[in-house]
Amino acid sequence: MEEKMNFILLVPILFPVIAGVFLVWKREFRKRRNLLWFVGTALLITGTFVAVNLMGGERRLTAFYLTKELPVFFKLDALGRLFALLVTLVWILAGFFSFEYMKKEKRETRYYGFYLITFGVLLGLDFSGNLITMYLFYEFMTLASLPLVLHSQTREALMAGLKYLFYSFCGAYLALFGIYFLIRMGNTIEFTPGGVFESGFLAEHETLFLVITMLLIFGFGVKAGMFPMHAWLTAAHPVAPGPASGVLSGIIVKGGVLALIRVLYYLIGPGFLSGTRVQKIWIILTLITIFMGSMLAFREPVLKKRLAYSTVSQVSYILFGLAVCERSAFEGALLHVVAHALIKVCLFLCAGAIIYRTGCKRVEELVGIGKKMPVTLWCYTIASLGLIGIPPTSGFVSKWYLGMGALDSEIPIFSWLGPMILIISALLTAGYLLPVTMKGFFPGEEFVCKREKEPYLMTAPLIILAALTLFIGIFPETVLTVIRTISGVCI
Amino acid sequence: MNAICLLLVVLIPPLAGAVVALAPWRRRTHWMIFLEFAVVVNSVLVWLLLFNRPADTLTLIHFTGELSIAFRLDGLGTVFAGLVSFLWPFATLYAFEYMTKEKHERVFFFFYTLTYGVTLAIALSDNILTMYCFYEMLTLATVPLVMHTLSREAVLASRKYLYYSIGGAAFAFIGMIFIITYGDTTEFLLGGVLNMVKVGENRNVLQFIYFLTFLGFGVKAAVCPFNSWLPQAGVAPTPVTALLHAVAVVKSGAFAILRVTYYSFGTDFLRGSFAQSAVMAIVMFTIVYGCSMAVKETHLKRRLAFSTISNLSYILFGAVLMTPLGLVGALSHMVFHALMKICSFFCAGAIIHQTERIYVHQLDGLAKKMPKIFGIFTVSALALMGVPGLCGFISKFNLASAAIESGNLLSYFGIGCLLISALLTAIYMLSIVVRAYFPAEGFREETLEGITDPNWMMLVPLIVFVILIVGFGVFSAPLVTLFKDIAGGLF
Repeated sequence: MEEKMNFILLVPILFPVIAGVFLVWKREFRKRRNLLWFVGTALLITGTFVAVNLMGGERRLTAFYLTKELPVFFKLDALGRLFALLVTLVWILAGFFSFEYMKKEKRETRYYGFYLITFGVLLGLDFSGNLITMYLFYEFMTLASLPLVLHSQTREALMAGLKYLFYSFCGAYLALFGIYFLIRMGNTIEFTPGGVFESGFLAEHETLFLVITMLLIFGFGVKAGMFPMHAWLTAAHPVAPGPASGVLSGIIVKGGVLALIRVLYYLIGPGFLSGTRVQKIWIILTLITIFMGSMLAFREPVLKKRLAYSTVSQVSYILFGLAVCERSAFEGALLHVVAHALIKVCLFLCAGAIIYRTGCKRVEELVGIGKKMPVTLWCYTIASLGLIGIPPTSGFVSKWYLGMGALDSEIPIFSWLGPMILIISALLTAGYLLPVTMKGFFPGEEFVCKREKEPYLMTAPLIILAALTLFIGIFPETVLTVIRTISGVCI
Repeated sequence: MNAICLLLVVLIPPLAGAVVALAPWRRRTHWMIFLEFAVVVNSVLVWLLLFNRPADTLTLIHFTGELSIAFRLDGLGTVFAGLVSFLWPFATLYAFEYMTKEKHERVFFFFYTLTYGVTLAIALSDNILTMYCFYEMLTLATVPLVMHTLSREAVLASRKYLYYSIGGAAFAFIGMIFIITYGDTTEFLLGGVLNMVKVGENRNVLQFIYFLTFLGFGVKAAVCPFNSWLPQAGVAPTPVTALLHAVAVVKSGAFAILRVTYYSFGTDFLRGSFAQSAVMAIVMFTIVYGCSMAVKETHLKRRLAFSTISNLSYILFGAVLMTPLGLVGALSHMVFHALMKICSFFCAGAIIHQTERIYVHQLDGLAKKMPKIFGIFTVSALALMGVPGLCGFISKFNLASAAIESGNLLSYFGIGCLLISALLTAIYMLSIVVRAYFPAEGFREETLEGITDPNWMMLVPLIVFVILIVGFGVFSAPLVTLFKDIAGGLF
């Protein structure tokens, strides 16, 4: 690739940020339609830029230097491509869903402004080529998504927003402690598959690196909602407007996952982690989170909160896959990143559509919802089956790989305890997701209602997301080939 | 340039101030223009001196033997003099607008400008005696500024300020005597001037004396437990709190500590001693203590004052690492903190000036009425937290890498303290930002009728500072290189 074309890498990052800042600054549009045209075009143009980038070969770009040893550096590698594609897809779909959903909300311009800014920041996170660049975008991801949480400005939203902020920064600073050390100790901070440290060097400073790794796991684990730092997630995600909760729960938590993959598999190296106490502690924490998240979701009556607890549990599936440090578990984790993102966004959008149409927030109010909004509930059901892991959906494939990976690994106890907890949690998942479907489609004999209108701006994204869940489940090879190129170089 | 200019820059400000106070001015505008002109000329002169450094020492009074009052410009002095002379014209401009609502303006400006000269004298001091003299004089020159409103609160605050500072100076005096007795010379030389033959058996005594001297100068730098004067002195008009209690006075304390640590006692003598551990423990405690108190405080200016306490100890943390890199960290935080804190203080002042609101909970929804002020405040808040891309990150990074490099286990905990403090900073700064931009439900906008951004005299300094905060955040290489040269004795 020619050197001079590399600046293209910056365009999809800067364009939505600039468009978003413009919206925030402008505050009001005279006509709502103009706003929607603006946002829609911005989303699609960004999508095109991302596509141009993804199609091209490898690009590298050093934008500028913070200090001599801290270059802000972008690189497009396979992992970044996967995440960028996912972000773009979900962002555009949820964006179009917002056009209908946000009709009933105030301060729309500001919402779209920060929605676009967050889009650009996430792309920046995906394209980051070294540690400091990633940390930069990681912090800005928190800051840019905060207004989405605060949007309704109710007391609840404000408290949730502050909670989100404090947990996130707590995590970011824990991680920063490790980052300082990685920058000082390593020869380079550029992400290199398989790690940048020599094993001899790691063995020499083993205690120090174990502490660093633990801190990094805890720090970035906060964003991924890992026990014991998960409390913010169930407060912050449900209070946001429907589509925003979707992207928060589906995509932004994956920021933590991406950061963990980057530092563990691209800097420290997976070889260092496997077999250590830190790995065991991490596995235990993820398993606790998986189980606890499902249990809490099971007894939660408010649908959006239930979905948020489900996120807590499901993201730890991914973390479990990463913690095992085994090839097919790693592949399963990446596949679950894709699967969970699509499914969770779909579920949250369904919840949003239901709230938008009927105002019902609690699960027991949803009796007969399948009669009122059949398309929505069908999509909900397909996505639910995906989350439970029933073939032929994407969730099944990813969980299969996770389970196989865990069984193949030679970690005592956890190689069988892990898959067992995955299965128990799947059962619980069925327990908390499917009642909505059952009550919704089979409300009982005496139930009468008329069908609600389901606007196509809402149903189309839902159908696409549900269809993708099925598609990946039936043709997993499409995604797996990409994932194999990543895992091939990392482990 | 001729060394006599060193005297000139110290004398111009007091003279100009005296003219303002004593001459019969017809109109306010006239003396304003005169004073601003004098201050700008003086600053230009200082900057000319910095770039064409006079090589020789200017001895004013020669008492006896080694004791003399003399000026010389060296690396460390360059940084402090450059910083002070850059900020002063802007602060004066800001003060003109701010002081329109206060009485005894001309007396105020006399002492305000007098302080400029005294602070420069501290920066340019050639030996410890000169520094000590001007250090005492700084206390006396600033007491009338704290007392300015003559309210009971102000009188009490200034009395406390006086007692603390004079008491601290007494400790510093002891240190000075020991340096004169045990040193080869009283001049400041990088690496220290202690004569090891004279010291002989008394190493421990001298290390203890260093500890006392640290505490003595530490009073102005507000180390725990001598910090309570600083928040109380916040009753002074904002230009005083912003420039003197965030930059000139308190940083004179930090500057004096840098001088005695690196240039008098010498780091080789102190490193690894109990004195180092003791002062580091104090500094680390202050870092966390200041931030915790800031979180608790609801008075806006006092909150910022507590934040200053914590941030000053960042500088001292770099100082007591006692390595060249530590000095780099200390210097960079000295400069960057000055920019960030003066910026946030000026915003607070602008809010007080425009709305007369002084408590954090009164700031609900103000951002809509004062978008420029709050935009700038947000940037300074993010910079103080250490978000990458803004200058606060650079100095914290320098401090942390110095701590790692020093290999001192206690300093690893110091990094922990820095990060805890960063988290607390996020809490106390962003809760203001969130409040101002996202007022909770039930907030009535009519209560803010008629509030606007202040005029250009307040905005221009703020805009300059904010540009520098961002500018140094993304490109700090030349400045950090300069600091490295200074710490290496090359400059």
